[in-house]
Amino acid sequence: MTARHAPRLAAASLALALAAAALADGGTVTGTVEATPPKYLEETVVYLKNGPPAAKPRTLSMDQKSMTFVPHVLVVAVGDTVKFLNHDNVVHNVYSPDGDGYNLGSFKQDEVRTATFAKPGAYTQLCSIHPEMLGFIYAAPGPFAAAVDKKGHFSITGVPPGTYTLAVWNSHLKGPEKSVTVGAGQTVTEKIAVKR
Amino acid sequence: MTRLGRLALRILLPAVGLTLASTASAIPAFARKYATSCLTCHTVYPKLTPFGEAFRANGYRFPGVDSDLVKAEQVVLAQEANKKTFPNSVWPASIPAAVPLAIGANGTARLFPSSRSSAGVAASGARFTTQDLVGEAHLWAGAALDDSTTLWGELTFADGGAEVEHAQILFNDLLGPKHALNVIVGHGFPNVTQYGPHSSYLADVLLPTVPVTDLYGLTSGAAWSLTGNYTGVEANGVLADGRLDWALGVNAGPTDRISSSDNVYGRIGLKVGGMRLDGEGSTGAADALHPWAEDAIGVYAFAYRSDARFTVGTDLHSDVAPAYGVGARLQSGSAELNAAYYTERHGAATDAFGKVNADVWFAELSYVLFPWMVPALRVEGVTLKPSGGDSVSDLHLMPGLAFAIRPNVKLVAVANFELSHGFPSVGGAPVAWQGGAADWGPLQIAPSSTDPARKNLSEVETIAFFLAWAM
Repeated sequence: MTARHAPRLAAASLALALAAAALADGGTVTGTVEATPPKYLEETVVYLKNGPPAAKPRTLSMDQKSMTFVPHVLVVAVGDTVKFLNHDNVVHNVYSPDGDGYNLGSFKQDEVRTATFAKPGAYTQLCSIHPEMLGFIYAAPGPFAAAVDKKGHFSITGVPPGTYTLAVWNSHLKGPEKSVTVGAGQTVTEKIAVKR
Repeated sequence: MTRLGRLALRILLPAVGLTLASTASAIPAFARKYATSCLTCHTVYPKLTPFGEAFRANGYRFPGVDSDLVKAEQVVLAQEANKKTFPNSVWPASIPAAVPLAIGANGTARLFPSSRSSAGVAASGARFTTQDLVGEAHLWAGAALDDSTTLWGELTFADGGAEVEHAQILFNDLLGPKHALNVIVGHGFPNVTQYGPHSSYLADVLLPTVPVTDLYGLTSGAAWSLTGNYTGVEANGVLADGRLDWALGVNAGPTDRISSSDNVYGRIGLKVGGMRLDGEGSTGAADALHPWAEDAIGVYAFAYRSDARFTVGTDLHSDVAPAYGVGARLQSGSAELNAAYYTERHGAATDAFGKVNADVWFAELSYVLFPWMVPALRVEGVTLKPSGGDSVSDLHLMPGLAFAIRPNVKLVAVANFELSHGFPSVGGAPVAWQGGAADWGPLQIAPSSTDPARKNLSEVETIAFFLAWAM
């Protein structure tokens, strides 16, 4: 390490410390979603509708493996970019009819395409070459969002203290919005039912 | 087998036991599709519960969103979201991961209380026979391509041959409110009744039919019948908050003729009380222990015009036979009375192209005593009035017990008492086939006397034990 680098390192450390402190002071919204019928449970995202926006855009990935989209549901924040990968030895395509719609053309194994999500909402991911393929990208208003696991559990961490509207999206079902108040370091647990 | 023998068999088989019946409504492919019991739709199959009738009326779909209830693994051929980009992408569809087939067999063992009865004579004096205990085997197919398009098929093996009884594609919810307009294309039964064509505890078909032109010697085993399975197109639907149903269809009649028929038919029905005809809105049974039970009245009326064409020598003849009928089902809890009457007016049904009127009716009273045991009493009557000939009639009284030994295995024990008045004849003489072991009524076995002049006959024909399984 040189003296020239010391101030820059100190600044970075300070930023990290502040971020860690913010995370530590943040609360958690966790809980379970119950779906009727349960077959659509895994296509559920829970998010804070009026949470703070992301500090800066991120880049995430959705892969195509064994002719399926992986993960099946990817949660991003508005402004984030998704890299679409292809790890199959067949040509794939990615398009979505939702939002403004996009078609990333066809791409071979190990090729990458990207899309940036400027508007919130659900984007169905389809492959015109393999019409059976289906995935979802849910662009939440901010970073405080999570897809449920196979049992319906979700966990949104690092939530700044405050009162928010907790909302849910499902590919086929609907659920109510709820008001949640999150304190520093607190965990709020909610149960959400989604149905036709 | 001689022509006479074939004709005799053709006429005799439906008679012999009213219970030697195929089953075209109960298929375990649906049980597998929804991972549900046969009892969701049936009591003693193929008798349908109100929910089963709704499932059938909906084109073999559950109320609500059908795919919500599908538990069998599906192979998606095109995702639902493709609708958003149609016509630039193919319309959504899926197929079951496993071929949606089911198999089954059925047949009848018969006891002949009297060796002198026409049934006893037909059995050459035997007192008991298991010869037809495996009379038919079935291969069924039932599947959905999506939430509105379904497939239905039935291949029946009997007498060393195979027959496609059903091969249909059903396009549902085509226009207007849900269930208002469905279209069935292919080979199958015409929906002239409000209820399933096999929705009886004791008989093969709900409505008895009479092969009039066969009976009077014009055709040989190729008579048009009201509920025959023919190839055509039918539009149907449920309206008025699930209380009114309708059907309108055309079909080609029997296909083993030289010239096919051009037939049209229509029906309208009304149901008051109980579950909606389409099963929507959770209007199910109030008592969970008696899911088949409801208090309801269903009534319907139908009209059917058959134009059957025959080539005799070089001449083309036509038997135009308008038919009109009414039916009703009254249900109070576990008790049900099902009845219908219709008349057929044949313009040229005898071998001399004479007119024949046929009046047919039935009534079936049943009570679901236990989910696995249903006592029932069925009565069927036929009157034939040939122009210039003797009017003859035939009545059958059939008390019976239907058992669901398992949800997919059934046994029906039924006795068959017969009262007949006269015998079909042409110009006062027996029709040629009457010398064989044949019969004229829908259920009557071979007569002990073929003398048309013999006016009254009463017989205890059979006690039949019908056994069927499906899986």
